Amino acid sequence: MAQIELESVTKEFPDGTTAVSSLDLAVGDGELLVLVGPSGCGKTTALRMVAGLEDVTSGTISIDGRPVNDVEPRHRDIAMVFQSYALYPHLSVYDNMAFSLKYRRAAKAEIRQRVAEAARILELEPYLQRKPRQLSGGQRQRVAMGRAIVRQPRAFLMDEPLSNLDAKLRVQMRAEIAQLQRSLGTTTIYVTHDQTEAMTLGTRVAVISGGVLQQVAAPQELYRRPANLFVAGFIGSPPMNLIDARLERGGAAGDDAGPVVVFGPHRLAIPPEVVAAHPAFERYLGEAIVLGIRPEHLHDAAIAGGPVIKLPVRLREELGSEVQVHGAIGTAAHVSADAADDLRSLATIVARMDPRTKIAEGETAEIAVDTAELQFFDPASGDSILA
Amino acid sequence: MSLTEAKTATAIRPAVRRRGRSGRAAHSRLSRRRRRAGILLSLPALALVVALIGIPVGQAVYYSMTQWNGITATWIGPSVYTALFKDPIFWRVVENNALLLLAVPFAIGIPLVIAALLNEHVRGWRFFRSVYFLPTAISWVVIGMFAQRFFAATGVLNNLLSHVGFGASATDMLAGEHSALVALAITFIWSMVGTNTIIFLTGMATLDPTLTEAARVDGLSRTQIFFRVTLPLLTRFIQFSFVITVISAFSALFSLIFVMTSGGPGFGTTTLEFFIYQAGFQQVQFGTAALYGVVLFVIMAIAGLVQLRLIKPDDGGGW
Ligand SMILES: Nc1ncnc2c1ncn2[C@@H]1O[C@H](COP(=O)(O)OP(=O)(O)O)[C@@H](O)[C@H]1O
Ligand SMILES: [Mg+2]
Repeated sequence: MAQIELESVTKEFPDGTTAVSSLDLAVGDGELLVLVGPSGCGKTTALRMVAGLEDVTSGTISIDGRPVNDVEPRHRDIAMVFQSYALYPHLSVYDNMAFSLKYRRAAKAEIRQRVAEAARILELEPYLQRKPRQLSGGQRQRVAMGRAIVRQPRAFLMDEPLSNLDAKLRVQMRAEIAQLQRSLGTTTIYVTHDQTEAMTLGTRVAVISGGVLQQVAAPQELYRRPANLFVAGFIGSPPMNLIDARLERGGAAGDDAGPVVVFGPHRLAIPPEVVAAHPAFERYLGEAIVLGIRPEHLHDAAIAGGPVIKLPVRLREELGSEVQVHGAIGTAAHVSADAADDLRSLATIVARMDPRTKIAEGETAEIAVDTAELQFFDPASGDSILA
Repeated sequence: MSLTEAKTATAIRPAVRRRGRSGRAAHSRLSRRRRRAGILLSLPALALVVALIGIPVGQAVYYSMTQWNGITATWIGPSVYTALFKDPIFWRVVENNALLLLAVPFAIGIPLVIAALLNEHVRGWRFFRSVYFLPTAISWVVIGMFAQRFFAATGVLNNLLSHVGFGASATDMLAGEHSALVALAITFIWSMVGTNTIIFLTGMATLDPTLTEAARVDGLSRTQIFFRVTLPLLTRFIQFSFVITVISAFSALFSLIFVMTSGGPGFGTTTLEFFIYQAGFQQVQFGTAALYGVVLFVIMAIAGLVQLRLIKPDDGGGW
């Protein structure tokens, strides 16, 4: 069991690519921390630095308070599960799992007992004599997990261990990994590009983009209080609706009504308690901001109450448990540089509605907004105004 | 062609069995037609093999039992073989071939180590790769000339020895029967290093680098990784280089021997291959030359069959 700490860790490759940039992370004893971010954002590189497979350009990685920058991987006592599983093709399942113990001079009986235990937990007992190529993807994945757990290491590093499995198996294995990690209580860093996986697995989730840490928080916190536009757009599916808007003083001039957010023909008053909790609003009055609305905070006004906006309905999608309604907002959606072809550029927003809604395509619907849940971001820095 | 044919046939058989009578009938008609097409299509290749390999081999076997000076051949019969096996010089020559086999582990082991080091991508590895490969691009004749200068009484080797104070141990290696064979073996090993290094480097490039990384995280030292992960995964490549090294040892050293020692001193460096040349072109006894040729052919065929067995993938246990 161990604590892992990264202090302003930077990785620059010889070709000049900065894969990880001044990363600060602390993983507590027994914690499962998920590193999530789009492909190419530096997750694997960060993990490989912790494993010792990649040199650190600057900064310090410590395990249990001891800097390990110059410690060989084999002396770090860390187990890694590779995205490709990296099973030794010439060894049987049993030997793959026993491999590391043999070189750690464990007693024969001890090895046999630990492999048997891992095989039992992972339901690999019938396959112990097989070679990796005779296994299915899911079974290989289990062997890779088994190889890590028989070692009883100080920490697990898992690099997208489920990305090669089909969707159904992925969900099942996700639950099993969570359970396994909880029962073993081994400190774990889990890397994934899938935000759903990150949210369901992590006690805390670290969001990375372009090698830079965006936010570390518990899943609910990430979801409800995204620190910036990147996290807001990345976490949640369908993603948060982001709209270019302005903050204005409500009512007639001179009137001391609270601020309202204006986008296209729409005006929404911001609840006084939200304004009271965030004095920063004052600074943005009369300024451009980016408004964020989660799809589930838009309701059919016939079913739920709240301030109403009227939107022409472009599309109605039946998903069984909910109905997704796409409405035109009559103004530009906020388009981030890396999402130009996203739905947002169509100047529509998505609402997740109660399946009983009667809103139909082509009509102009009355949509109630949960104004207490609105998010506001500074368009220049991308940071949340509510922080 | 026929191999794929056979595979397809076994693959579809169970399905056919379930389909019942009419299915089976259709299948057998189809397979008969297929078999006929297979034979027809492989005829040209078969004709070539017979013309280019079968006929010459048959001729060699025939002439090996004659006395033939290139113009007239007198039939003697199979007794030439019993006479040959009683000839002490023949056994001396076979012994030379056997001793050359002792060079094979070095001709494989040294390139393995070099490839492993180069594969770590040490500074300048591309340069070293070219340097090690250079001997492969040089003609055996040139290599032989260099080697002769190197090992000669007033050659580079003895010069070096006297420079470092071992002048007393200076010998003309090419003058002693056994030392000449050692010199030949060393030259042979040196000239095989490039080819085998490239084979192993290629093999190492095909390995999944995450396997070595997994082993590093699993706690193995670099040496352990080499012996426990890299080497087992290179089995195919090592077998392949073993095959070509043995074949080279038995049938590619003619020009080397010709230039370095002419088979001497005595029969010190005469191999079966060189023996053929001596019988045929020095003594003008093409019948005897054919006889040695047949023996060499049989030895190589046996070696080839043994290697084929080695390379055959084991039942599902391979990778
Ligand atoms: N060995 C390398 N040399 C140069 N650039 C690299 C190397 N490995 C990764 N990169 C670059 O570093 C960035 C991060 O890569 P990676 O950590 O693999 O991302 P992720 O795992 O998040 O998809 C990418 O831009 C990638 O192209
Ligand atoms: Mg990756």
